[in-house]
Amino acid sequence: MSLFDSVMAGLALVGNFEAFLSLVIGIVIGVIGGAIPGISATMAVALALPFTFPMAPINGILLLLGVYKGGIFGGSIPAILIKTPGTPASSATILDGHPMAERGEAGRALGMALWASCTADFVSNLALIFFAGFLASFALSFGPPEFFALILFSLTIIAGVSGESLLRGALSALLGLLLATIGLDLVYGTNRFTFGDPNLMGGLNFIAVLIGLFAIPEVINMVWHPTGHVGKVQKLGSKWVTFAEYKRCFRSIIRGSFIGVFLGSIPGIGAAPAAFLSYSEARRKSPNRANFGKGEIEGVAASEAGNNGVAGATLIPLLALGVPGDVITAIIIGAFMVHGLQPGPMMFVLNVDIIYGLFIGLILSSGILFIVGGLAIRGFRPVADIPKRILMPMVLVLCIYGVFAVNNNIFDVGVMFAMGWVGFVMGRYHIPAAPFLIAFILGPLLEDNFRQSMLMSGGSPDILLRGPITWFFWALTVISIVAITRGTLRAGRAAG
Amino acid sequence: MQLQLGIGAILAALFLILYAIPNWVSSPSNVRNIVLSPLFWPYILGGLTGLVGLGLLLTGRQRIGGGAPVNEPIDDPRQGMLRLAAMAVLMVASFRVMPWLGLVWTSMLAFVALAFLVRTRHPAAAVVCAVVVPLILYAFFAHVASVAIPQGELVRLP
Amino acid sequence: MTMKSFAAALVVGLGLAAAPALAEYPERPINMIIPYGAGGATDISARTIAEPLGRAVGGTLVMSNITGAGGATGSVAVQNAKPDGYTMLFARVGSHSVNPAMKATLPYTLDDFRFVTVYEINPVACAVRPDSGIETMEDLVNLTESEGTSYSSSGVGSMLHLAAVFVLDEFGVKDPLEKATHIPQKGGGAAATAVLNGTATFLCTNTSALASFVANGQLKPLMVTTDEPVPGFDAPSASSLGKPDLRQLVGWTGIAGPDDLPDDVAAKWGEWIAEAAGNEKFVEQMTARGSVIEVMSPEDANDFIEQQYNTFRALVDKLGMRIEG
Repeated sequence: MSLFDSVMAGLALVGNFEAFLSLVIGIVIGVIGGAIPGISATMAVALALPFTFPMAPINGILLLLGVYKGGIFGGSIPAILIKTPGTPASSATILDGHPMAERGEAGRALGMALWASCTADFVSNLALIFFAGFLASFALSFGPPEFFALILFSLTIIAGVSGESLLRGALSALLGLLLATIGLDLVYGTNRFTFGDPNLMGGLNFIAVLIGLFAIPEVINMVWHPTGHVGKVQKLGSKWVTFAEYKRCFRSIIRGSFIGVFLGSIPGIGAAPAAFLSYSEARRKSPNRANFGKGEIEGVAASEAGNNGVAGATLIPLLALGVPGDVITAIIIGAFMVHGLQPGPMMFVLNVDIIYGLFIGLILSSGILFIVGGLAIRGFRPVADIPKRILMPMVLVLCIYGVFAVNNNIFDVGVMFAMGWVGFVMGRYHIPAAPFLIAFILGPLLEDNFRQSMLMSGGSPDILLRGPITWFFWALTVISIVAITRGTLRAGRAAG
Repeated sequence: MQLQLGIGAILAALFLILYAIPNWVSSPSNVRNIVLSPLFWPYILGGLTGLVGLGLLLTGRQRIGGGAPVNEPIDDPRQGMLRLAAMAVLMVASFRVMPWLGLVWTSMLAFVALAFLVRTRHPAAAVVCAVVVPLILYAFFAHVASVAIPQGELVRLP
Repeated sequence: MTMKSFAAALVVGLGLAAAPALAEYPERPINMIIPYGAGGATDISARTIAEPLGRAVGGTLVMSNITGAGGATGSVAVQNAKPDGYTMLFARVGSHSVNPAMKATLPYTLDDFRFVTVYEINPVACAVRPDSGIETMEDLVNLTESEGTSYSSSGVGSMLHLAAVFVLDEFGVKDPLEKATHIPQKGGGAAATAVLNGTATFLCTNTSALASFVANGQLKPLMVTTDEPVPGFDAPSASSLGKPDLRQLVGWTGIAGPDDLPDDVAAKWGEWIAEAAGNEKFVEQMTARGSVIEVMSPEDANDFIEQQYNTFRALVDKLGMRIEG
């Protein structure tokens, strides 16, 4: 079948009102779900899954993909408005989005988040359509040693989000790494810091840690200083993002999109590291570097581009290899299987109409996301006008419900509370929270891939340099470290 | 402040290396390769924490007086500490009471307590929100998202 | 109403409240705990049966994933729940026969649960990459004996972990723990990927997890642990290879409550599950994924699990695989 025939077959599948409607409904559910902390994109997809069983396969899958993409964008709404990431992927958006909201520019930040998300989404979809085969074969050349090198490099992001002091950033990261060791050991299955508690055996729940670290300290700060906000306007603001700003951030958005595509096409990384990597790259390259972390719109653009860039690309390993790239696509694979579709190379032969139908639907989805997202921002406008001393108890209650719902476990609520105090104390000592979070995500991956590599090689470290991919990332790591050291020394000389 | 942090990090590292890791991380006796041991990574982290602590200590001494900006001052730190203590009690109490009282009723009480703890200027609105918000969230999570929100032993909601 | 009759009414009322009106069970939604994450074999199985089961129950079933520690976190939640039949567990081979057999410090034992049924069985298949040069189990065993091989799993104490060791042991590999390296991954999807990208030589897992890779020609099955060949898997059965003991090595999903679950609740579950598992659409969806729908009575389920546990435990003790820490 020629390309034209395939496209036509795809069009025949999705060129109807129902397919379009499924996509719209999916995106609406996703944006709302993503905007509610604790529901997150993952849970929204899991919740929508059973409803797609009776639908036509293509419509059901489009609905789920809509939820996915909507959810990743929706997470940025509470991240900006109430400093609570709706979905882990939007944690990086907090860094500059929330300071903007505190300045009364929430509308501008949200607008930029939407533009960046849609652009990245579009880039990501194009990458899926044109480079699926190539990127998928590339993804399969990532074994544990390659992962180890990649993650080691990604950890250098910490320097980019450490703020004023690299050492304090490192301390924060170490705390994250240490807390991430709680749970069962990967290789031997023995207990680490579990104190015999079955709840700790599973490790600390990531979302509980995330919300505890960002949202709860805000509540505690309010308790410490109930009138600290008086006089500061927290409003959506009349200022809207302008096209000139979009143009200024365009390079960062495109860079972020490609970072997202790259990390998304490799199974097992996910959207949060992509957002942080995109953010730190944008910071490194931007002329407004000093402004990052204090409400720089380019930071919002880069983070949102990074996480939405992942959303299309995770479908690359899914469609081309049948391997889920992250938790969300693992659930979406369930929808394929229920309809008797088996994702993998043969699907491009057997169900080419569905594949092209999906591609066409995905292209549409970026546009629909733009419209739905715009409406959602207006819908959430009232949040910015709630008096802060009523808003904070609301945030607390919302976080309790949300964190419980993630794993149906009251213990996680306790984890969130405890992390809230950790976050509060860190804030008092000017220790940035972002390195903690990155380390908490990447630490276990680093350790696991290191040990898997050692298992593969029987303990010989040579395997860590086994091929061009590892060399590439080791080189990048060394370059980053040299650059960071030089930057720190220069800053030290300037200060001293 | 940097000095405090540095000392804290070094103490934490010593505690980890000397007490916490040997006692709270179990490792099988038949580990063939040291790098594969469950203890390997925690020890590295403990060591790095110590190094960072040392770094903080040294740079802190260099830049005495300068460095980090002071936190926003508040009028009465003693009352602030009292409020923080109250918040801690509130959190522990909510966590303990939750399985017995259910998520909805606990949230309502926590909402009111917190709103009055921060001395809201809209007490009536706070009480209304305290009742309405948990109920709306309950309706959403239990009936739309079908999450089994803990109901407690006393009053069950439909 | 006089004081006396009021008091009498109160006593009756309290009496009713004290002894839960089981005649009306279920009078509120039943919380069904899935101890594994969304998208996994247990989750898909549970959510597929949820619909017909809900109809049979005539009430609401709320599906709750409580993940962590290879199914232990969710299992403990049910172990500690009130035995009123409103908190039930989707138990799985990993959480209720492999884990108890392997992990000494597990906070629960099989005796902490009362099984009301096992309704689904998945055979296990071992698979390698088609370009690995391994064509048969014999090749795999020879390679393991000569050069050594590696296998991936979804974690220590998972069924995949034990399955690979069990298979090698049955095929006469002398010291399978030394000859074959276990490379644990996080989750079943990652385990399959590890074989695809050459990190590990082979894996043994449920046919449902392998079906799409096999259909796509990405993985080659070497053996299935059944009497008869499995449709879609071009591989000999364990029985035809002369290893009938491997038939013990199957995945299953069942439903359990806390150990002091009342008899009448257990009986009701027996009726419901029989009705639900008879649902044609359910059977069709499950068999399409390579599962065998076979509803066991509570006694049969207990015997089945006990037997599997004992087999696994014997193997674990023989090879010294038990995790003590």
